[in-house]
Amino acid sequence: MFDGLKKFLKLDRLIKKFKKKKQIQLGFYGPVNAGKTTLANKISLDWLGKEVGTVSEIPHETRHIQKIENVVVKTNNGALKMNIVDMPGIATQVDFKSFEEFGLNEEDARARAKEATKGVIEAIKWLDNVDAVLVVMDSAADPYTQVNITVIGNLEARDIPLIVVANKIDLENAAPASIENAFPQHVVVPISAATGENLDKLYQAIQEHLT
Amino acid sequence: MGIQLDFVSSDVISSKSSLEKIDFIIEKIKNNVIVILEEGLSPKEEAELIETTMREIDVKDFHGIEFYRIDHKEMRLRDRLANYISGRKTGMTIVGPTRMVEAIKKESDGISVLAKAMKGTGKKGKGGKGSRKNARKDDTKKSEKKKQVKKHKKKPKDTGEKSAE
Repeated sequence: MFDGLKKFLKLDRLIKKFKKKKQIQLGFYGPVNAGKTTLANKISLDWLGKEVGTVSEIPHETRHIQKIENVVVKTNNGALKMNIVDMPGIATQVDFKSFEEFGLNEEDARARAKEATKGVIEAIKWLDNVDAVLVVMDSAADPYTQVNITVIGNLEARDIPLIVVANKIDLENAAPASIENAFPQHVVVPISAATGENLDKLYQAIQEHLT
Repeated sequence: MGIQLDFVSSDVISSKSSLEKIDFIIEKIKNNVIVILEEGLSPKEEAELIETTMREIDVKDFHGIEFYRIDHKEMRLRDRLANYISGRKTGMTIVGPTRMVEAIKKESDGISVLAKAMKGTGKKGKGGKGSRKNARKDDTKKSEKKKQVKKHKKKPKDTGEKSAE
């Protein structure tokens, strides 16, 4: 009963707000192909001069957790220090045949599917190891998916602060406003990881809300 | 050939531990049954459901699930507070195997489930009042159906597990 009352009053969140960390462990979560690794690569390339992972239109390209340590981003409000943890995309289904449609042979498709399922499990397990999270979504896709709801619900349940990143605003059919409407209780920052648009606003939001 | 939907009351689901709930759902899903839980799963249970699904996926038969939780956000603050304090979960959860459930989509007035019938549906599932004998005749005529599950403010009166086709 006490836990329920404590949760309702959001005491844990208030306590955490007073304990600011100098360097945060920032997790990138979200559905498959939302652009998490593209964003991680862009940040890493801009501030460390190197990329961390490959990106592909084939789903589940990132099947293992990728860490980028000691990233220091200079902003107008000072330096933002963080370790970035790029997670495999969360999915509720993995069908190896969907990979064959992208030209993979059966053996490679099966191996990819097996690794993808492990990656999803690994990403969920890591929810307990991050200080803050960017939930990366595709602005051109429907935001009302159970994956988005489950990811955000789990972060809320663990009192982990988050920012919703409405990625791919460079696409013609992008509708970041639909993401804002779907998750009005959270800060939503529309960006394009591919072009770098609005990344300065994202850094500012991280500094204001997640550190 | 048909589509089997099992409605599970909150009494049945709340008597189970999180692990038992997940096993209960996965077993039904692997038997090609779409499960509608009167009580929503918690976010942590949803994450456990995804984890278990990933472990159970095999290349031949089981490729995963589609699921959706409907929240009762329109509840009064007093009721929400009471539920938080008591730890009671609200809402409804729909879960189905991906080879049957093509999509579960939020609409302005409810949830739309696009499902297709397949051979062997529900062959190991528990039959109840709504078992195959009581199935609507037109269910077998169409191979693909769109079912609309409306969000209700009032708590459904189901008291136990029952099957409908």
